[in-house]
Amino acid sequence: MLQPGKAVKVTIYLSDGATHHGAPLYSTILDFLFYRGVAGATVLKGVAGFGADHHMHAAHLIDISDRLPIKIEFIESREKVEALMGKLEELAGTGLIEMKETTVAKPAQITKSREPLTAAHLKIEGHAQMMRIFISEEDRWKSKPLHEALVEAMRANDIAGVTVYRGILGYGAHRRLHKDKPLVSSHHGSIMLSAVDTAEKLRAFLPLVDQMVPEGLVVFSDVDIIKYAYRALETGEAQ
Amino acid sequence: MKEQFTARLLRIHFGEADRWHDKPLYEAILAKCVELGIAEAVVFRGIEGYGPSTRIHRSSHWSFSKDAPIQMSIIDTEEQIARLTPFLDAMVEEGLVAASSVEVIRYTRTETPATAAIANNAKIL
Repeated sequence: MLQPGKAVKVTIYLSDGATHHGAPLYSTILDFLFYRGVAGATVLKGVAGFGADHHMHAAHLIDISDRLPIKIEFIESREKVEALMGKLEELAGTGLIEMKETTVAKPAQITKSREPLTAAHLKIEGHAQMMRIFISEEDRWKSKPLHEALVEAMRANDIAGVTVYRGILGYGAHRRLHKDKPLVSSHHGSIMLSAVDTAEKLRAFLPLVDQMVPEGLVVFSDVDIIKYAYRALETGEAQ
Repeated sequence: MKEQFTARLLRIHFGEADRWHDKPLYEAILAKCVELGIAEAVVFRGIEGYGPSTRIHRSSHWSFSKDAPIQMSIIDTEEQIARLTPFLDAMVEEGLVAASSVEVIRYTRTETPATAAIANNAKIL
């Protein structure tokens, strides 16, 4: 985080129309700064201006004109700015980059509620299992969709996480093959649930799957997990 | 009925716009799976992604091209998957195939001719 004291203010001047791989250039640069951990950055839109090519860009119809000047500003420590500058120069293309010595009187504060996100950001690595369950969207369990019931059951059993995917096409154990037109009867409703947790927890959950899934396929595979958890300290998962 | 066996899981990644002869590639592969009596095959459409060509696959909301990433999950015994592989080699021009060994449990409601045939492939444990 930015400390009070000497710092560098960087200003990048761009034309609004500039793009980078199809996306507006300013958003590419903003993303770059964001994911490289810059403390903060602001994009400002000019009303009129001209650049090296001496074309006057002005907003006669402010919302429609897309060649207006754009200015991106951020303040960071000198080391950080120097680390970023190579890629920034490349991204800015024909744009101008200005650096200015500045003094941070008071750094911006992170909103209190967000603090655990950075403070207790943990990376946990290890071995686990992935359980994929292939069922049909039409399957029901006690009057609710089976995939919803399975997610609720997994949550109740503290399975670390589960995601439900809806297939656009498929067939399998959960649906009989239609002999004449195998694809017609299977155009809708293939569901896959993917859950990751330790082998013990998934195996312990299996009896419930036995009860709930009348037709379907359950697939276990070994996976290496890399888990990013910012609440790990609170829940004691770090041990 | 509950059966348990070891199997192979194939995940094939390519684009929605990829075609095989006159139909979408994923339909062609699925039809081949049906023909070979593969136990399970499901096609998923991703929201965004990119592949070996580093061209970004996106759904039509973002661009005019309709080339969302497609992922197919195919599951059957080693022998069955081996029968499918030569066809994949021919059909998938540009894509990624990831294979892994998995433990499978299959639940079936009743013994139909179709499921019985698949169970035979699987050599139930």
